Amino acid sequence: MSADPGGPPAAGRAEATGETVGEAKWAALRELERRYPGLDKEAVRFQVVSEGERGLLGVGYAPARVIAEAPLTESAPAAPPPNEEPGSGAARLRALLEHVCASLALPASIAVSEDEERVSAQLSGPDLGLLIGKRGQTIDAIQCLANAVVWTGEETRKEVVVDAAGYRDRRRTALERSAEGAAREALESGEPIPLEPMSSSERKIVHLFLQARGGVTTSSEGSEPERHVVVAPGE
Amino acid sequence: MSEPIEDFLGHVARSLVANPEEVRVTRSERDGAILLELHVAPDDLGKVIGKGGRIARALRTVVRASGTKADERRHLEIVE
Repeated sequence: MSADPGGPPAAGRAEATGETVGEAKWAALRELERRYPGLDKEAVRFQVVSEGERGLLGVGYAPARVIAEAPLTESAPAAPPPNEEPGSGAARLRALLEHVCASLALPASIAVSEDEERVSAQLSGPDLGLLIGKRGQTIDAIQCLANAVVWTGEETRKEVVVDAAGYRDRRRTALERSAEGAAREALESGEPIPLEPMSSSERKIVHLFLQARGGVTTSSEGSEPERHVVVAPGE
Repeated sequence: MSEPIEDFLGHVARSLVANPEEVRVTRSERDGAILLELHVAPDDLGKVIGKGGRIARALRTVVRASGTKADERRHLEIVE
């Protein structure tokens, strides 16, 4: 409908939701800038799809929905076409997260993007601690459900990532720090050191980090939800 | 009118099962806590419980968190 199917897209496009039209615009603009670095911000046009409903304690809440569009200049490289048609992975992820935010009575803004490797969602807004939960247990539960729901009946199973307020980056830093600590302890004591239980995606971060570090070997032991990485000295 | 958490449970369950028309969510109060029951067809039970109970555990976590703002204890049971 927008661009020539064969040629490069004439415009960059991103859709986002938020508690108010203003927040949705802001989230859509941020998503557009992420997809098309070097975009001419002056040229961005907004289209309000839905004004949203405020609701009461999450009942009757519907987010405002906005599309941001900007012509692509030469400095803005053409990203893969935004793929949020009904039934796409990105659209299913958004639908799930809208249900989650309504359930938790959180007026969060949701930005979804999809590339060849993964579909990811960024949530922003107030009170996101509730959505993240103690030691990330709530956001990990949401991500687990997203991975199950987004690809039911589909052949492709890309990774689905749910992030809020930069949580995944902060968590990665913390995981790498504790992995490094365990590696040193294992080398000093000559004994295998167990880390705390983690989800499979977090264990993967630890395995890859310590592989690159060298000097230790890693394995996963125990069964879910107690499955954890063990760091042992030696190559 | 159903609450957002009931819509959420119905939405997730219907996305996973082979018989979405048999998905039903009921709500009752017991000992000051809210009990949400997710009903699915017997054949679909495994799909909403997941490998090693992963899906059921994740659903329970979200159900518990959903009661925080309303200061309500909420529990989930999955039934045939």
